[in-house]
Amino acid sequence: MLKKSLALGIVSGLLAGIAGIIYARVYYTINESDFSKVVSAVKIVAASVFGGVLAAIGYALLNKWLRNSGEIVFNLCFTLISFASLMAPIAVSLPRTIETPELFPGLVIPMHFFPALGWYTLKPIFIKSK
Amino acid sequence: MSKLFYPAAAVLILTVSAFTFVAAQNWQIADGYSIGWSISGSDAGGIFKTFTGSIVFDEQNPGAGKFDVKVDVASVNTGNGLMNKHVKSDEWLDAVKFPFIHFVSRSISKTAGGYQVTGDLEMHGVKKTINIPFTFQKTAQGGKFAGSFTVNRSEYNIGKPGGDTGDQIKLEISVPVTKS
Repeated sequence: MLKKSLALGIVSGLLAGIAGIIYARVYYTINESDFSKVVSAVKIVAASVFGGVLAAIGYALLNKWLRNSGEIVFNLCFTLISFASLMAPIAVSLPRTIETPELFPGLVIPMHFFPALGWYTLKPIFIKSK
Repeated sequence: MSKLFYPAAAVLILTVSAFTFVAAQNWQIADGYSIGWSISGSDAGGIFKTFTGSIVFDEQNPGAGKFDVKVDVASVNTGNGLMNKHVKSDEWLDAVKFPFIHFVSRSISKTAGGYQVTGDLEMHGVKKTINIPFTFQKTAQGGKFAGSFTVNRSEYNIGKPGGDTGDQIKLEISVPVTKS
């Protein structure tokens, strides 16, 4: 289980990272803003893969401890944790050289859901339902 | 008439030339200035991005100097969008009603550590006389003014008194200038 969920976590994290980079490019063009010094492409991919791997460990553990309801509890936790993590970009103080910090949450908030979206999208390929 | 012309001309020339000796240098505010602020006992702090005004100053004759500078309240940047909105709101600096922080000097004097300017600071609709110690360093292109001072936000009716946020706001100013 851990092997399959780790593979799913890494691949969905990478996918979320790529989606994040594309979204950032579109966001910079639309809003004429640039946060690449704060959120570089490497950081986006690294954070997304980190989220995916963390989800994989959580998924494996929950399915081991809760044989019947592990999947449901995991989905609930993953969504709730993704939602709760939105507090970080809202509360963060950027370097004061950044001209438009009010546009920062709009960039990062959607990215916080990308690992979960990637996981839910790719899960049927990696882990078959019981 | 002709008797009076030459003495009058001499007095005029002497007066004008005397003023040329005491006239202080006009300085133009250059890019790269920094108007930073922080509140004692909290992480709150930021910068003002827009700073304009006229600076007249001569190291040899500081008494002839004059500062008249304005800070655009709406240009505040704390690094956080929500915090910026809060600082500009009517609870704090009220950028709509009081768009500028304005300082006009009354006198400038030399001190042991540099200089001191006394003047009127108008902020949030309240005008108070304050002293600001500062230094001036000449550079190849012009010079650089630097100073820091503290104001009590309650005296300017900024924010709610007490609470978690300290009363003392420290302002740190660094202004490079070029000769104009």
